[in-house]
Amino acid sequence: MKKFSVLFLLFFILYFLPGTSYAQRFPKPEFDSGHVQPPTLTPAPRAEFLAWFDVLVLIGSLSAASWFVIKKRSRKGVFWVSLFALAYFGFYREGCICPVGSVQNVVLAMFHPAYIIPATVVIFFSLPILFTLFFGRTFCAGVCPLGAIQDIVLFKPVKLKPWVQTALGLIPYIYLGLAILYAATATDFVICRYDPFVGFFRFDATFNMLFLGGIFLLVSLFIGRPYCRFLCPYGVLLNLTSRISRKHIAITPTECIQCRLCEDSCPFGAIELPSPVKPAEKRETSVRRFILLVIIIPPLVLAGGFAGSMLHENLASVHPKVRLAKQLLIPSKEVTEDIKVNIDAFKTSGKTVNELYAEVDGILKVFYVGGWLLGGFLGLVFGLTLANLSKFKYQPDYIPDKGTCLSCARCVDYCPVKPENPA
Amino acid sequence: MIMDKKPTEANVKLWKGIAIFAGIFSFVICFLIIANYVQINRIDPVNVQTINALVQRLHENPGDSLLREQIRELDLLARKAYFTTQWQIRTGGYMLIAGVALFVMALQVIIAARRKYPVVSSQLTESYLFNQKNARKWIAIGGIAMVAIALVLAFITHNELENNLLLALNPQSNQEPVPENKMSLKIPDDAVSGSMVGNPTETEVPDLKNKSQDTNDNQNSAIDTFVKNRQTEQNPQGATPDNKKAATSETNKIASVEDLRKNFPSFRGPGGLGIAYQKDIPTSWDGASGQNILWKTKIPLSGFNSPIIWDDKIFLTGADSKKKEVYCIDRNSGKILWTTVVNNIPGSPDTSPKVTDDTGHAAPGMATDGQQVYAVFSDGDVIALDMNGVRVWAKNLGIPKNHYGYASSLITCNDKLIIQYDQGNGAKVMALSSNTGDELWSTPRKVKISWASPVLASVKGQTEIILVADPLVAGYDPETGAERWTIKGVTGEVGPSAAFSDGIVFVTNEYSKLLAIKPGEKTEKLWESDEYLSDVPSPVATADLLFLATSYGLVACYDTKTGNKYWEHEFDNGSYSSPMIAENKVYLLDKTGVMHIFKAEKEFEAVGDPALGEKSVCTPAFSNGRIFLRTQNNLFCIGS
Repeated sequence: MKKFSVLFLLFFILYFLPGTSYAQRFPKPEFDSGHVQPPTLTPAPRAEFLAWFDVLVLIGSLSAASWFVIKKRSRKGVFWVSLFALAYFGFYREGCICPVGSVQNVVLAMFHPAYIIPATVVIFFSLPILFTLFFGRTFCAGVCPLGAIQDIVLFKPVKLKPWVQTALGLIPYIYLGLAILYAATATDFVICRYDPFVGFFRFDATFNMLFLGGIFLLVSLFIGRPYCRFLCPYGVLLNLTSRISRKHIAITPTECIQCRLCEDSCPFGAIELPSPVKPAEKRETSVRRFILLVIIIPPLVLAGGFAGSMLHENLASVHPKVRLAKQLLIPSKEVTEDIKVNIDAFKTSGKTVNELYAEVDGILKVFYVGGWLLGGFLGLVFGLTLANLSKFKYQPDYIPDKGTCLSCARCVDYCPVKPENPA
Repeated sequence: MIMDKKPTEANVKLWKGIAIFAGIFSFVICFLIIANYVQINRIDPVNVQTINALVQRLHENPGDSLLREQIRELDLLARKAYFTTQWQIRTGGYMLIAGVALFVMALQVIIAARRKYPVVSSQLTESYLFNQKNARKWIAIGGIAMVAIALVLAFITHNELENNLLLALNPQSNQEPVPENKMSLKIPDDAVSGSMVGNPTETEVPDLKNKSQDTNDNQNSAIDTFVKNRQTEQNPQGATPDNKKAATSETNKIASVEDLRKNFPSFRGPGGLGIAYQKDIPTSWDGASGQNILWKTKIPLSGFNSPIIWDDKIFLTGADSKKKEVYCIDRNSGKILWTTVVNNIPGSPDTSPKVTDDTGHAAPGMATDGQQVYAVFSDGDVIALDMNGVRVWAKNLGIPKNHYGYASSLITCNDKLIIQYDQGNGAKVMALSSNTGDELWSTPRKVKISWASPVLASVKGQTEIILVADPLVAGYDPETGAERWTIKGVTGEVGPSAAFSDGIVFVTNEYSKLLAIKPGEKTEKLWESDEYLSDVPSPVATADLLFLATSYGLVACYDTKTGNKYWEHEFDNGSYSSPMIAENKVYLLDKTGVMHIFKAEKEFEAVGDPALGEKSVCTPAFSNGRIFLRTQNNLFCIGS
């Protein structure tokens, strides 16, 4: 422990020391004398081989995390991999490129052929999903820097009621739907813009984003990984993939002896408790309810689609061109600097207002269709979730919920069953 | 980890100490960062008051090299201070991260030390059925709430943007026909601007009889009619049945046509049309060397209103948030003859409304009828003074709800003071009695806030007040305030006032259109263009040519009847001042104080670009042989 502490301290000192000696520069003043400012030089882009190096590091980290989770069943190992991931993908690479945001790149590439998605981004998107397909959510366990930063501040986990978790667990679907809509319409990458932790990784963000990140970290002290469980849109894809994963972490290495020691081991509420032999309600009741809930799925899809289509103008207001047109047509009383800059930029673009308005008209039509699809998707998700909540499945053991389990391997240490000492 | 070797008690104590130290350290650093951040946000290194004051002095004394050096040093200090603070925040950020990391690590060690072995809870967990039921309930509630919120939001916004887009892209389909009862004007036999053929399409050009060749003819006819109407008690042009009587007999002597042309009674000259009738207007001067600068007078309080002139007196207003003043300056010597403080007005607010720096509290131009001068300010105070500065009457119109600041200039017509009061809290145009300030009429308008000014024009022999705002261009009877015609077409935050020539009204606004409108029984658009648009300078027209200046330096010349563009020319700097036409030359003052003088012809021909040496946003005023230019702090008289 002492060695570890010393190493840790050294690491942080060495990391932060260079940051205190940045050279100071200030911008060129504006000259009235006719002095011509030399052209601004932009820094060269990052070397391409480094992007491939990141891919290698990703593969290495995923492999290590999967090995620690599935083979070694070592919480310590997972913890160290996650620290490394926090340092490398978080602070060194400043949170970009990350698989969580890469969803948007992929969607943008699908809907806009002019956008050429780099191969490394495709790999960042698909590799964690591939590993999840084989080993469960080992990416969440030990590679995602967003999860890691929340994990290390989890001091006093408070268990949420299962029904609260289930209800809140639908928010990532909404976020994913919105992120896809905005990426598909080339409006914005909302996942990246509203990443609460990237400000810490970059030591730079607006006050609001730093404040939001701070709130998330404060909440993370007590509620395990709130962003991962109740917001992460990429987690939706991992959740669905993990349910059909070939291998998954098990609490017990052999057979469960129902000792109940692991009941409180998961701070994320991802352990399925054994179900009673006899269900507490009549089968006919539950079947009838299930059928009813399945029948209402199509109306829910329609209702959701209709509501989404009605909201299309509000949804489209995020688009910068729509905002500009709105400001020109319906000027707001508060003219912020941001608005002034956008209007000045438009002035110099050479476009006429009619061209802008025609473009915005087209964008609104796209959002109308997008609103239908988003609302319909959410209606489907809600409907399927409700129907699923009527199903009864008997299972006698304590097992991780394959969808929501983050494979952090905290539970394995609670199980008294050892491979060499079968029950 | 739970099975790992636990730290010893001594270690735990050490880590507790580290945790406390790291926690306090992080808290202090966090506090300092926030304090620094607040400080850095308050100070703008490129807008320091001390430096601004010195720069002002440098503008007045451009040769002072010591002052120049002092400014450079202070500027460098301000920038260094700013970036030092930034560096402090950044370094503080690193230290905070280090402190927090240490704190977290210490806490992890302490928690690991305190971890107990798992104990099977004696409490029964809630049944899965209960959890499922509750989950279904809350998911259903959440889903219904989301749909309800979506529908409510959609209802509230009511496709506002789409409707406005439709209007903007298809303005023709939204043209409001003028009700018949408002258009019962008879066309007079001696209509000065030719016959008006009602054309159904906007591209056809109406036939014109007696087409005037003189540049100023149409303006003359407007003034003629306007003066005729003022000087008679009956309306000789076949007025509408519901027209009220013209000027009352107890009014002051009304200025004649010659008087109006000899003077410069309002913003953009007589009628606000942008035409000056003065002669021998200078075309060259140089502010730096003083060539042809006859005098320069410092105006105590700044304002963006343009000067007006009557006889040998120039009138201006100036104001800040605490004080409002009217100044009278001698035309020949530049001496301030009198200053009247505007205060003690019943209903005047205790605090001035918030205005932007580029509008100020004294943006509207004054007006005079030769007997009295009139001024209005950002807080709604309007005052009438005699030519010696003695107060005649004053009242408060109510604080105009205007996010930039009230800017519409005044104009007089007969014995009335016309005020365009298009504000957020109820738009209207009103007429006050010149003698008493009593409200003679007030016509509400369904328009948004406008910064344009009223213009007087002769439409079918009748004097009309022409106003521009979003979304209407309208003409009003100055005697009754009745709306004679209206047409939709201009959107946005309207700054430019209308131009008028030969029976055609020209309006424009940035991000909207340039429109030529033929008012009449069937008001229609003759032509439109969206190539060059103005957000501040008002256009000006002669019989055949329309001149449009923009705030980004481009000037264009169009055919008034067809909209055909004859030429365009780009100057280095744009203008906020409106172009004026005098002696068949266009005078356009740009923001840097350079006057671009070019011929009012179908081909661009520059006459001169004399520089004042000071920035200006005001429109020039003219008297014979003289031009008067107002800058931020001074009034210049230019002449040979």
